[in-house]
This record gives sequence, C-alpha cells and structure tokens, in this order.
Amino acid sequence: MKIKSIHILLAIIIIIGGGILLASELDLYNTTRVKSPRKTAEGIYDVIDMRGSHTLEEIEKYYQLSASSVIEAFGLRPDTNPNLFQLKDMKEIFTPVELEEGEYIVETDTVKVFTSLYLKIPYVSDETFNLPEKTVNYLIENDKLTGEEKEYWQGHTFKLEYLDSKYLTASEFSKIVVEEAEGLIVTGRTTIQELLDYGITEEKFEEVTGFKIPDKKLVSFRDFIIDKGLEFGEVKDKFAE
Amino acid sequence: MIKNQKKNLIRLAVQICFFALIILVSLNQWRSEQGLAPLLIGSPSLHAVCPFGGVVTIYTYFTEGAFIQKIHQSSFTLMWLIFSLTLLLGPVFCGWVCPFGTVEEFIGKIGRKIFKKRYNNFIPSVIDKPLRYLRYIILMLVVVNTAISGKLLFSNFDPYFALFKIWSSEVTRLSLLVLGLTLIGSLFVERPWCKYLCPYGALLGIFNFFRIVKLKRNEKICINCKKCDRVCPMNIDISTSKTVTDHQCISCLLCTDEIACPVSNSLSFSLLERKNPTENSENDSGAKIRESISGGGK
Repeated sequence: MKIKSIHILLAIIIIIGGGILLASELDLYNTTRVKSPRKTAEGIYDVIDMRGSHTLEEIEKYYQLSASSVIEAFGLRPDTNPNLFQLKDMKEIFTPVELEEGEYIVETDTVKVFTSLYLKIPYVSDETFNLPEKTVNYLIENDKLTGEEKEYWQGHTFKLEYLDSKYLTASEFSKIVVEEAEGLIVTGRTTIQELLDYGITEEKFEEVTGFKIPDKKLVSFRDFIIDKGLEFGEVKDKFAE
Repeated sequence: MIKNQKKNLIRLAVQICFFALIILVSLNQWRSEQGLAPLLIGSPSLHAVCPFGGVVTIYTYFTEGAFIQKIHQSSFTLMWLIFSLTLLLGPVFCGWVCPFGTVEEFIGKIGRKIFKKRYNNFIPSVIDKPLRYLRYIILMLVVVNTAISGKLLFSNFDPYFALFKIWSSEVTRLSLLVLGLTLIGSLFVERPWCKYLCPYGALLGIFNFFRIVKLKRNEKICINCKKCDRVCPMNIDISTSKTVTDHQCISCLLCTDEIACPVSNSLSFSLLERKNPTENSENDSGAKIRESISGGGK
C-alpha cells in the first residue's frame, strides 16, 4: 500500500489528536504539574526538588519546616501569608548582592540550602556559597549547625537588603503579603474541593460560574475558570460577595 | 505540476496549524501572566506541549515515579504518542509538526531564493557527515545530566523555548544566541538545528531503521535523475538507496513520486512489500521516461 500526504495527515489527526482526547478522558493529559516534590531513596522529600512556585505552606507540608522559621530566618514580614508567598517571590523583596562569584539573588536555592542545614537533609548547591547573615544567625541560635558548618557559614555571609525600604514598616505590602482575612479567600491555588468544603453549594457554584461542578474537584478553581474562558478575578469577586 | 503543488499544501497546512497552535499557547501564557483570560484553549506552558519533555524526565519517572521540574504529564503522554507515530511513519513529527522546524524551513525558503543551487550545499561532506552525529552526543548529555540534576537543563539553550517565549525573563542569553545562530544558519543550510543539534530529532531519527512504513526506491524503474537527492532538505543520498533508512530522514515526502520523483512508483512510502508491478511491464514508465530523456536513440 502506497502512503501519501493525506494518509500522514490522517495519521497525525488520529494518533496525536485522538491520543490527546483519549488521554484526557483517562486523566493522563494534565498540563499542570504535580506539586509534590520527588522523594529520596530514604522516602523523604528531596530538597533538590524544592521549587520557586512552592509556597511557604507547601514547604511546611512537604519538608516539615515551619513557615515561621523561614519568615524569621530571612527577615520576611511577620504577616507574610504562607498560603500565598512563593519562594520565588523573594527576588521581588531582596536586593541582589554582588559576591565574588558574581551577582547573587536570594531565592529558591537559598531556601534549599537553609532547609538542608536546618533539617540535616543532604543538599549540595552549585550556586549558593554564601547565606544572609540573618539566616546564619538564625541557624546558630537554633543550634542547627555543626562546628565545621558554623565555621564555614560564619565566614560566608552577606547582608540582606530590601528592594523597598518600606518593606518592613509599611502597613500593607503588595499582594504577596496578605494577612489572613475573615471569610473565604479564593486564590489561584484554591481547589474546587476547598470551595465545597468551605460551604459553597452546587447551586451557588453554578450561579457564579455558569457551569456545573466538574468531576475532578481537586483541580484549581482558577484553572477551571480560565479553561472555561472566564476572567478569574471577576468570578472570585462574585464568591466574596 | 498542479497536482504536485496541491499535495505539498497538505504538509504546509499541517505545519501552519501546529505553528499557529504554539503561537496561541505562547500568547495565552503571556495573557495568563497579565491576568487575562486565555483564548480558545487553556494556558498550558510550552514545556507541557513539548514531547521532548517526556524524554528528559523518563529516567526520573521510572526510578522515582515523578516528573522533573517544569515537566507535566502531558509531555509524557505526548512522548508516547509521537513514538507511536514515528514507529509507523518515521519522524513525521520533525517534518510536519515541529514548529521550530517549520520556522527553519520558512527561513530556508529565503536562503534558497538568495543562493539558488548553492543553498544547502555550503558545508563540505567531510565536515557535514560527522557533524550529523553531534545531536546524539547532545541527546546523551541532556538525558544524563537531567537525570542527575533533576532540572530541565535543556531549556537553558533550547532555541524552541527561546523563540516562542522570547518575551519572558526565563529565556537565557545562551538560548537566544543558539536561536540567533540557528535562524541565520537557516539562510545557508536547510534545518541546521534539526541536522546537527536537535536531541529529539536524533532520538526520532533512530526509528528510521525499523519504522513500519518505509521509503523505498524501485531500482528497476528509477531513471537516476537525482531529483530526490536535490529536493531532500536533509541532503540524504536517496538515489543510491533501495530502502531509505538514513537516520536523518524526516518523512517530509518531498522526494517521493507524489511530489518530486517524476516516475510513478519509483520512490514512495510503502506499508507492505510491493511486487514492483511495472518492472517487467513493456509499458514501463521508467523506460518511457528514459527514452524521452535520451531521445529514444539508444
């Protein structure tokens, strides 16, 4: 049998198009990632897989490192919302520092090193050789460093500076630091199940979104809304009302 | 002539569709970051719709049951779908689907207009042939280093990601440099990234050795006009092969009797072994064309 362009076109439609449809039905075509980090051979969550998109709450959940420890060790605002603050948000708070190796940005890898030292989970960084002075002091105060580690890190510190000098003193500071408000807060990470758990009824859901509650309730509400072509901001405000 | 142009349009249409799809994915990513609702489809990341992501995470998936950072289940599923397509038809993904290959090809059309017959023939064979294996070294480096680090290192020099996410701060200078060099190179060489550097093309190219639908040349009726060699974007020596199993074939069909080859049934994609129905025939089309070329005086 001779294969022509039209056959290839059909094969593409059937194999790729049909395959995606079938995989979607079988829940094997998720374009959003699984949030949990991978585990080490010992069965603990690997520090290397800590991500910039992980919130402080997720760090607490997976690594058992309390959000308050990170907040204190890095000099973040005490009212920082662990549910909203992502590790990558740090780069919007701290000024990059000039070190011998070049410009260094306090971000995910800095937290990885901190977590590794604090929880004694092995992690060798290829970019963080210095830590903020405040972070090292916090580790020492909490007796988390061995003699050797203490000697090294005390000699490899830098001073943390805030990009905005009013970061600590302002009464409010951007959306990434939100005090827990009373009532329902719908964020980008709120799942449909969480809405139902809060007490949103099927009728209310349908009234606000115009759609029935999907079978997959663990998907984020934001993704659901965006998939339906709606504006997330508008819809979540309706829930607040 | 009209018939050939029509059939070329099928591949062109497929290429444009996938190119437009990736542009839409990219646009939606941007809109999503601006807090705007995505258009038509959701806002999957570029990594989520790239099957190579599935390849680089394969080790982590089978050893730890997890995907590496930035890679999603969709990449993994797409990887298996593309493997199936490639097993059947060869690297159709490269020749028909890959939007980066399409961009290279479009730029190549400008190069062809500028340099005419010299286009795609600048690099001497002695340098060109060994360079074609460079992509296998890159494939090994990418897969091994990704397995060790658990990070998507390839995106640091991936020109596909740089091109379709050029507005993002995630794009590295190195990948922009690779992108720039590839686009400039496309003016001189057809599909330079695919030929020399693409690790995914390297992997799919291996399927050419055992794919189900094979590109076959019927020696008995071939008139050795070498038109197939001239149109092949990957410079494969088709006119001397019986079955084209070159690891660089991208199943574009340009060389076949559907498009370039002037002799019917001389060069085509075949699913099953054929008995060369015309080879013993007195009405041999190859013989007829040979006669017309030689003026029938031989």
